[in-house]
Amino acid sequence: MNKMELKFSATLENEALARIAISSFIAPLNPSLEDISEIKTMVSEAVSNAIIHGYGFDMSRDVILRCELEKRTLTIIVIDYGKGIENLEEAKRPHYSSRPDLERAGMGLTIMETLADDFEIRSVYGMGSKVIIKKNIALKGEYVS
Amino acid sequence: MESKIRITPFEDGLVIKIFGELDSSKTMLYKERIHKEMRSNGPRFLLFDLKDCSFLDSAGIGMILGRFNEVEKLKGGCGFINLSPYVKKVIRISGLFSVMKEYDSLMDFRKDMGVKL
Repeated sequence: MNKMELKFSATLENEALARIAISSFIAPLNPSLEDISEIKTMVSEAVSNAIIHGYGFDMSRDVILRCELEKRTLTIIVIDYGKGIENLEEAKRPHYSSRPDLERAGMGLTIMETLADDFEIRSVYGMGSKVIIKKNIALKGEYVS
Repeated sequence: MESKIRITPFEDGLVIKIFGELDSSKTMLYKERIHKEMRSNGPRFLLFDLKDCSFLDSAGIGMILGRFNEVEKLKGGCGFINLSPYVKKVIRISGLFSVMKEYDSLMDFRKDMGVKL
């Protein structure tokens, strides 16, 4: 099993860093462009949730991105020690957003859940949140749109 | 990753072409750019060309949906052209296709929206 961990300040500028890191991490598998794109989208959603909702843009806090690769199965774990989610059912509802002012469509969890082969979110209110995404990386030419 | 926006006016609308990664570090800026064009020309029809958009997430979806909500109030509409399978998948998941369609061309979009030539 190959693994890596990245810790960075909770600022949206670091979303690009998280995407580049995970793209490089999976590059040896020679994944399709579509798989890379989908993985980048999921990572961005998880990381932006941590920054915006977990930490409320408090840049002094850290987001952790942990990745594990077992054969062609990628596990992505995004952790924040922010405020946590009070009502997970409500948060998971499509188009729900606790910050409609930010114009983010309230679709982050739905997008992650749909793109992932397996998706789990654990949160303790007042303690933080952890998103666990599993994605099987197809061999080139096997992309299902 | 490089990203930019190119806005080209047509009769009563704008073609908005997004290049590169449309992430949350770009959406506020692009929203302002589109608003600036909307103030000066008052377009009612927005066509998003995503041919060269290499990354999309809910921040970008929200930015597009926000503009749709604005032109809808003006009895206008929005559409897409040039969607890759990946971009199309993210849009489909987000539910945006319930209010915006994909078109083959600007002409196709204008015809469907009933834009006067």
